[in-house]
Amino acid sequence: MSGHVRQARSVLGALARAPFSRRAGAEASYCLLGLPLAVAGFVLVLVPLLLGAVLALSLIGAVLGLLLVLVATGLARAFAGANRRLARRLLGDDLPEPPTARPGGGMLAGLDARLRDAASWRSVAYALAKLPAAALGAYALGWWVTALFDLTAPLRWTLLSLQVSVPTRGVPVITPLPFGSPHADSFAETFWAAAIGAATLAGAPWFTRGAVAVDRWLRRALLGAGPLARRVRDLEETWAIAVDDAAALLRRLERDLHDGAQVRLVALAMSLDMVKEKISCGGPATDTADVRALIETSHSQAVEALAELRSLARGLHPPSLDDGLANALATLTAASRVPVELGVEVSRRPTPAIETIAYFCAAELLTNVIKHSGAGRASMTVTQVGGGPLQLRVTDDGCGGARLIGGGGLSGLSQRVRTVDGSLDVASPVGGPTAVTVTLPLHA
Amino acid sequence: MRVVIAEDAALLRELLAQMLTGRGHEVSAAVPDADALRVAVAENRPDVAVVDIRMPPTHTDEGLRAAIEIRQEHPGTGVLLFSQHIETKYATRLLAAGSAGVGYLLKDRVADIAEFTEALVRVAGGGTALDPDVVTQLAGASGRSHDLGLLTTRERDVLSLMAQGRSNAAIAQALVVSLGTVEKHVAAIFAKLGLPASEDDNRRVLAVLRYLGG
Repeated sequence: MSGHVRQARSVLGALARAPFSRRAGAEASYCLLGLPLAVAGFVLVLVPLLLGAVLALSLIGAVLGLLLVLVATGLARAFAGANRRLARRLLGDDLPEPPTARPGGGMLAGLDARLRDAASWRSVAYALAKLPAAALGAYALGWWVTALFDLTAPLRWTLLSLQVSVPTRGVPVITPLPFGSPHADSFAETFWAAAIGAATLAGAPWFTRGAVAVDRWLRRALLGAGPLARRVRDLEETWAIAVDDAAALLRRLERDLHDGAQVRLVALAMSLDMVKEKISCGGPATDTADVRALIETSHSQAVEALAELRSLARGLHPPSLDDGLANALATLTAASRVPVELGVEVSRRPTPAIETIAYFCAAELLTNVIKHSGAGRASMTVTQVGGGPLQLRVTDDGCGGARLIGGGGLSGLSQRVRTVDGSLDVASPVGGPTAVTVTLPLHA
Repeated sequence: MRVVIAEDAALLRELLAQMLTGRGHEVSAAVPDADALRVAVAENRPDVAVVDIRMPPTHTDEGLRAAIEIRQEHPGTGVLLFSQHIETKYATRLLAAGSAGVGYLLKDRVADIAEFTEALVRVAGGGTALDPDVVTQLAGASGRSHDLGLLTTRERDVLSLMAQGRSNAAIAQALVVSLGTVEKHVAAIFAKLGLPASEDDNRRVLAVLRYLGG
């Protein structure tokens, strides 16, 4: 019972404090400052736009008309920018700037690019739609004014009665919703007015919040990056990652060959030539030991070169992957130092590229388990149901605390997964257990 | 012959030192990077330095830059560069200051020890040793293929060996012909290409390279 009372008390407390909160102040200020901005924006965009459109229809005024339309779109962008800044300053709503139109080529191409710029036209739409939204904000401001006016009714009564003997017509009371035009005709009645004022004050922040929410929705829809623009930005980012990744892989491959197998083969050829020289010299029998040593060096160099080439080749594409992910992962987990329980249930086989990415993710996650987690055992499951995505899940009972940090192994993995529209999630509280889930589409 | 070796792969560095020592040369120092090479050359003043082009820290052209410096500061020390790939640009940079006492070979050439040491001795003595690949690339990059078409196959072989820095005697040995035959070919080449004849091997290399570099 007391719990309910406490709950009710805290709700009432929050309601009572709401009008005086910083947020209510910021939102009311936003409505206040937004109103003249909205009116100015509406007029400054609509007038040149209409004028330009009308002129553009006539043959003579076409050029001037187009220029006016350009002016309108430019002003709309400036207006959108001002709104974006106001929202950032007062509401902390940080909306990324859309990319500016980059006119290329000659004047005509530049004109064309500017006229086609979707972000500009969305700014125009915002400039027009903002006015009704701002009107709603103005109405919300009206609630605040009403509240202040009514709350001071007893005070006004007192002041009036000091000047004139008794206020003849009483003091006016205003209500946020149309409700005749009531008057407080006695001092006692002014307290009724004050009560209406208090109620209005309690409602004002919520109404303001609603008005700001409508405005925010408009801002997001018209001034934020459109879904296509967001997609393009995302693709550009992951594309760059993929290209960098490929270049880095080739560089690493060259370096590995240069420092590894190539050196060993040069040394091998050199040792063999030394053997050849020793034999062709036909030297005394004491040389046999020398020759044997040289041949042994050559042999071990050949063996090491082979091992290096094999590991390089496997690093490029594990041959077992050709027989499917299940086989390749079985080979991978069988060789693991930490015992791994493997479960693979795939109803539709993904494309080779996805299989390869899944395999290398599994390999790297397993390496992480072995290197960093200190786990006693791990499990790896690959599931794919119906036409759904491929899910790779690696869990371990280790120390946890794995995080996606920039430059870290996991974030590199996450970036690589993103290049094919996949995702990587990490759940790893300090103390463990760790679960990493990689979700990949069936084809890139 | 006193030699300093600079090569970052320990295996190759040791094998080279072992091979040169085995053939009666003195290996004063064998170091893994260009800075150590500069120090070793200043300290030991060797006859020749064998230098890997790609070494730490950047694995690009450290060896080449060190080689050019060494040639300027210690004219008595020849430099034989070697690397896994031949870069025409590197050859041009190396030869910009002259062809005396410099060499540029593919690492694979180490496999033929006799030829490699012969080249090393040549560079130590102030001569030139250029990889056949360098010569081919320089010739390929120039616009002289038409003129080269005037030469017979044998003359082209001789030209290539000349460009590599070999003497007439060495060319005769390589092609298994008499010295007189080589001299005849050389004269024919110089006449056909309109090059100034020269007895001096270095000047001859330079003339041929300049010609090939077009």
